Amino acid sequence: MAASVGVISEITLQQYPLHGGGVTYSTTLNVSIALPSRNAPRTKRFEAVIDSGASRCIFHASIGRFIGLEIEKGTLEETLGINGTSRNYLHEIVLFAPGGIINIRAGFSEDLPIAGLLGMNGFFDHFKVTFDPTAQQCEIERIF
Amino acid sequence: MASETNLRLEALRAAPLDKWIALSEDESKIVAVGSTYEEAVKNSEIAGVSDPVLLKTPKVWLPLSV
Repeated sequence: MAASVGVISEITLQQYPLHGGGVTYSTTLNVSIALPSRNAPRTKRFEAVIDSGASRCIFHASIGRFIGLEIEKGTLEETLGINGTSRNYLHEIVLFAPGGIINIRAGFSEDLPIAGLLGMNGFFDHFKVTFDPTAQQCEIERIF
Repeated sequence: MASETNLRLEALRAAPLDKWIALSEDESKIVAVGSTYEEAVKNSEIAGVSDPVLLKTPKVWLPLSV
């Protein structure tokens, strides 16, 4: 059974404009990443969407290049989304999230329309995630 | 007085599309823009903001389904 490390973060759903008016909501977390080497510089915080529909964490290739990755030297992985397949390149990185660093294997994609996705492998396996639609909040609790 | 949430939403509504944007520490305003993540970071440093929050804006604001 997973145990909590006592780090709980309350996240308010973020609003985004919609083309033509109105708003939509997403649950996001500001994170940063780095190469796994000791003292590697980390990115500035960027916004990533918490997405249980993503099988792993995926970040835009532009962020990967910033930390020094040669994107296309990673392991190619094709993923299936509702709009078809997309190509990601897998790299070992460090994710900075509430509760401390997480060593993960993440995908990097040129085609991602946003900065990042926090998916099942690499995020949901380290957090208990509870959505509360009535409060438009999400609670994440670090586990190990 | 507008809340920070509303200021953030209005900033996003005014943001250039298909760009990287850097928001101020309180996420109430855009402090820099770039065609790449690196360019937006550099421009935020030029603007004197050391701890921005970076976002990539989509080509068109639609409900997210990836």
